[in-house]
Amino acid sequence: MSDGKLIGTVVDEIAFDVERGKIWEFARATFTTDPVHTDADAARAAGFDDLPATPTHVVVVGHWRDQRAFVDRLGLALERVVVGSVRWQYLRPLRAGDSLRAVRRVVGDERRDGKRGGSMRVVTLETEYVDATGAPVVRQRDVLIERGKSA
Amino acid sequence: MSHPVRARQPIRAAVGDTHPAREIGPLTQTDIVRFAGAGGDFNPLHHDPEFVRSSGFPGVISMGQLQAGMLAGWLSDWLGVEHLREFEVRFVAPVFLGDVLRLSGEIVAVDGPGPASAAAPVTESVAEIALSVRRGDDTVVRASAKAVVASS
Repeated sequence: MSDGKLIGTVVDEIAFDVERGKIWEFARATFTTDPVHTDADAARAAGFDDLPATPTHVVVVGHWRDQRAFVDRLGLALERVVVGSVRWQYLRPLRAGDSLRAVRRVVGDERRDGKRGGSMRVVTLETEYVDATGAPVVRQRDVLIERGKSA
Repeated sequence: MSHPVRARQPIRAAVGDTHPAREIGPLTQTDIVRFAGAGGDFNPLHHDPEFVRSSGFPGVISMGQLQAGMLAGWLSDWLGVEHLREFEVRFVAPVFLGDVLRLSGEIVAVDGPGPASAAAPVTESVAEIALSVRRGDDTVVRASAKAVVASS
């Protein structure tokens, strides 16, 4: 299933809130030290009205996703899939109290020749995170690579 | 009584500028489990040695998003999270328990300055940053970013 028919497919759509405790947890887990993520006074002094989230915070949406259903839907063999690259574009910083909706779509699906023969499938997903006013705040693009069986 | 709060200004930066590298590790199972709990990635490849044995990997591997989050955090600690415009990571090699990682980066380009205004009293430009996560001599993550900086 890599003839491009999946392009445009909405993989999943998830609503979640940006929360103080999760910002703190994520900052600690990623060794991020700027106190604006953990200290309300430091955040206010820097001009934020609540704790700002760290740059890759939106990946916490993984808590609500069903990864098994998603790879099945795309017809991918999980054991042969690796993430090649991820890109985030920031339209504004996220902060505690934001309510987001994440819509993930297939934007690319193609076969490419592998470097050592065989072919691989490259699936590109784009997730748009939209705030409560409907404005996009973050865009994320994931490139997934499914190695060929023989590679 | 509330006082108007002055937002942080972008830092002054030029091509060639760097920030002290951050060393993390040796990476422990606890580091990985803490990130699993924070981010919600419960793939057993990252915490279950029995499952890992059946998968063919030589040992538990870290999630790419842990390295991505560490590097993005190092970058935002330097330039300010509100000034980031783009961050892109390429995963070059897997990371294992016990690995010592070194995060670093450098400003490789600065766009021509935009006009100063009342809203932006310093002259703001967009900088491009090249970053990496290394394990000894090996690069495990390559990354690039764009951020607003002040330039003269």
